[in-house]
Amino acid sequence: MNNSKWLIRREFWENRAIWMIPAVFGGLLLLAALFGQVSIPRLTSPQESEQAAAAFLVIVGAMFYLVMGVYSTWYLLDCLYTDRKDRSILFWKSLPLSDATTVLCKLLVGMIIVPLVYFAAADATALIAAFILSIRARASIGSSLWNGDVWLGVQVLWMYAIVTTAVWYLPVAGWLMLVSAYAKRAVMLWAVLPPLLLYILERVFFGTSTVGHIIARRLTALPAVSFHGMGPNYVWTHEGGVVDNADSHIPRVWQLINPSGFFTSAEVWIGAAIGIALIVVAIQLRMRRSEI
Amino acid sequence: MAALIEARDLTKKYGAHIALDRANLNVEAGRIVGLIGPNGAGKTSALRAILGLTNYEGHLTVLGREPFRDRTELMNECCFIADVAVLPSWLRVDQAIDFVAGVHPRFRRDRAVAFLAKTQITGKRRMRELSKGMKTQVHLALTMAIDAKLLVLDEPTLGLDILARRAFYDALVNDYMDETRTILITTHQVEEVENLLTDIIFIDKGRIVMDTSLEDVATRFAAVAVTADRLDAARAEKPFYERHILGKVVLYFENADPGKLGGFGEIHTPSVADLFVAKLSGGAA
Repeated sequence: MNNSKWLIRREFWENRAIWMIPAVFGGLLLLAALFGQVSIPRLTSPQESEQAAAAFLVIVGAMFYLVMGVYSTWYLLDCLYTDRKDRSILFWKSLPLSDATTVLCKLLVGMIIVPLVYFAAADATALIAAFILSIRARASIGSSLWNGDVWLGVQVLWMYAIVTTAVWYLPVAGWLMLVSAYAKRAVMLWAVLPPLLLYILERVFFGTSTVGHIIARRLTALPAVSFHGMGPNYVWTHEGGVVDNADSHIPRVWQLINPSGFFTSAEVWIGAAIGIALIVVAIQLRMRRSEI
Repeated sequence: MAALIEARDLTKKYGAHIALDRANLNVEAGRIVGLIGPNGAGKTSALRAILGLTNYEGHLTVLGREPFRDRTELMNECCFIADVAVLPSWLRVDQAIDFVAGVHPRFRRDRAVAFLAKTQITGKRRMRELSKGMKTQVHLALTMAIDAKLLVLDEPTLGLDILARRAFYDALVNDYMDETRTILITTHQVEEVENLLTDIIFIDKGRIVMDTSLEDVATRFAAVAVTADRLDAARAEKPFYERHILGKVVLYFENADPGKLGGFGEIHTPSVADLFVAKLSGGAA
């Protein structure tokens, strides 16, 4: 436990980008809020202002989530490779830290801690931006961005997204870490080429594309699996929010998320099991491979 | 007393290449052992196995443990410096001390701080800003503050200038070594460590060629400078190596009768470097 604390702190020392990227990104968004053009239409009904608040928070969150996805991918692909490349692995391995602890701490950082940092940055950015915008736009949107219910709903949404993302993408993370622990160079190629080759071989020899479908589904189907389908009553508004047409209300967060569906899906747990297997292999490789 | 490191038929293969070929070695507590061999002889493979960094075939125990299986526990009692340049470039000196203090139960922070206080190095410096000599000092400070039974050094002074090298070994002998500790050093620069060692192990092509204490070297080996007229008589005593210098021939003998050798010329004890060259290039001749 104590060792894990130090290993995680170490990741922050090494990868200052963990907090610098969201800080800079949040700063840019705030600059846009300060100097960009504010053109939010006059909102009259409480439903409309609730919509605006939800749309605003979801858009800010989604932007951070996308950046986080790119960063975490890079982090996981790099985390067991750099110290082999610069030989500093020989220093880390001279300490009484097990390879399993090391690998699991890096996984925890990539899948949970980095998302939490981005979540905090998204929240801080949204609050400050809402403050700036409500001053700049004066009464026209005024209180509309300050909707406690919507704000709390988005917090739940974020936490739910972090957990489901971690479970859903566990096989992807496991593969990236395996490559990171194995490759002597060109980790990016190693990450992409074997699945691509498998896909091509299957096409050529069997004329099918099961592998391609599985991979494509794993990479893109998380929203469909973790959220309720958008029924015919729901439409995307031009602000980007989701509105239930029938009563013109923002769907409550518990109407959107689908934890019972997600956590009982065989697809989710088969993926997680594959992810765990890949991580076990990554730990084994970490034990055997030292410097390049 | 049980051996600190005990290897029987230690073998390491990389594909078809055999880096260690049924090597046997024993290292006892309180010794400073030099594992000496040419490049590619299997030194590093042997160390990697001893430190649990790689799997291997054969029997190997270090401090009573199997290194590959129990590396984590082994590292509580064993330290190593593998080359000097392995401290990560982004690490700050104070972070390094905090980290090792945090994860190593036998680390004594006050000792590391006291050692660094004697140098020019301050806590906020990153490794990338330090010279190689300074990095070595940081690494030594970290390592010497750990109460370890075994210290393993792999080419510790590679890439250092002569001043830094001397400082490294002086610190090692004066500040670190005592009867409770054991040091295993690999190097191919024999002269540098010669007067430090108590034992030498020669390794070549994955095999242990010789494993002896330095006290034994004096009784076992003799080098005799022989003039041309007595050469044939001297050769009859079966030297295992000949070296031609400035018109003289130096013959190297193992377990020969000193009384007989005295008749051929001046006898002296070969240096480790000479012995190394003699053993490795002479072969079994």
